[in-house]
Amino acid sequence: MADMKYVRAETLEEAVAFLSTHGLQTIILAGGTDVMVDVRSGELNKKILLDVSRLAALKKIEITDEGLCIGSGVTLTEINTSPLIKKHAPALQRCSCTFASRQIRNIATVGGNVAHASPCGDTIPPLVIHEAQAVVANQDGQREISMDAIASGAYHSCLAPGDLIVKFILKPRKVGFADFQKIGRRKALAVSRMSMAVMADKDETGNLSFIRFSLGACTPTPHRMDAVESFLMGQKPTHERLLQAGEILAEKMVEITGRRASIIYKEPAVQGLFMRILYPMVEWCAQ
Amino acid sequence: MEKEKIHIQFTLNGRDVSLDIPVKMTALQVIRDGVGLKGTKEGCGIGECGACTIEVNGKAINACLMFGVQLDGCDVITVEGLEKEGTLHPIQEKFLDHHGVQCGFCTPGVLMSTHALFKENPAPDDEDISNAVAGNLCRCTGYQQIFSSIKAAIPVNAVDDDSDMASRHDDKAMCQDSATERDTSMALNGTKKDKTEEAQHHG
Repeated sequence: MADMKYVRAETLEEAVAFLSTHGLQTIILAGGTDVMVDVRSGELNKKILLDVSRLAALKKIEITDEGLCIGSGVTLTEINTSPLIKKHAPALQRCSCTFASRQIRNIATVGGNVAHASPCGDTIPPLVIHEAQAVVANQDGQREISMDAIASGAYHSCLAPGDLIVKFILKPRKVGFADFQKIGRRKALAVSRMSMAVMADKDETGNLSFIRFSLGACTPTPHRMDAVESFLMGQKPTHERLLQAGEILAEKMVEITGRRASIIYKEPAVQGLFMRILYPMVEWCAQ
Repeated sequence: MEKEKIHIQFTLNGRDVSLDIPVKMTALQVIRDGVGLKGTKEGCGIGECGACTIEVNGKAINACLMFGVQLDGCDVITVEGLEKEGTLHPIQEKFLDHHGVQCGFCTPGVLMSTHALFKENPAPDDEDISNAVAGNLCRCTGYQQIFSSIKAAIPVNAVDDDSDMASRHDDKAMCQDSATERDTSMALNGTKKDKTEEAQHHG
């Protein structure tokens, strides 16, 4: 087994400059929890390991004129304990409670989760509902990529070898209702078979005045579900209406994935999870 | 083929460790084969079972998912760091009292997850405990006993439960210092080959 060369970047500029010349042969190490598994299995086989885990520039969580900025090197535990994220992106905070296990949350980063582009990346649906933009640096400067564009397919991101995600800019939104739910084979650590993120607000009559909903894991890339949002927007969520919205969601999922063998399980499961995540809305809007 | 080695230095159970390792070596291999501390176990090797849980800068981490180079400059505690001067740590005592150990393979990992939990939250409720050890699998399925052991070891309760234990908690920082004094030089590079052979012998 050929060994790798290890390079630790001391500054963001140094990391970007290094990637501009060695990007093709380089694996970026943030938390390492996905990288290690892929390196040991031989799936990931490159010459250099570039450690960006100690870059302070990737570790900030702050509100700026642009929005809620979360550095790509922020760990899931840091997301979980950040008052700013709890206030402005509560669905993301909820997702960090059930992400993998405590041991993994302590080191795994949001940037790594997105860059790995696993369809079951738990942080992606919450980032999607906040219309997050990934700020990506390379030798030519920085550019923004929207969350629905960054994953080009299962385990494929549109990031080029010289690219490094610096941060995510979320549209902060203080809402009355926000949640993240998933289905896995085990409560902790299971790869999500299906995940959902939602946030919503209501007007004084109890009709929904704002809703963002995203589906993850059961489609190759995460999707914001416009059809579901517009079906519920401006309406009072009732048991009946949510059942109908769940049917629309299942139809949309089938449109994206096609009728695969797993559909016998996925169709009722997606509707069931949809009811589980949205049902508390019925009572909340009736208040 | 001569592999490229990288030099790392870190604190392991209060002692300074300094050694040269290949880049692909996991933190777990560094601890078991590089340093020769065999308490930390490898179960699944992909971060699902938690048998390799260690504490890095006060946080529970899967050593199998971490590159050894990531340990550089860190403060690391493994299960061997719990016992001080022949006296078991209060958490270990409670695992004995409440039969929290069956085959014992998951125990070092569970102990370290518990140790990190108490550091963060000395008064955890049942849900906090479940969350903290959800990443640790016990193939003997002795979860009830593990749970009772952890509950009995909760530091804030320990004052009522066992006054001796409370004082041992206070002494912890002091013990750590004496451990540092006790042994500062581990001639690791020289002994590495022997350790690896030993590991192979023991499977």
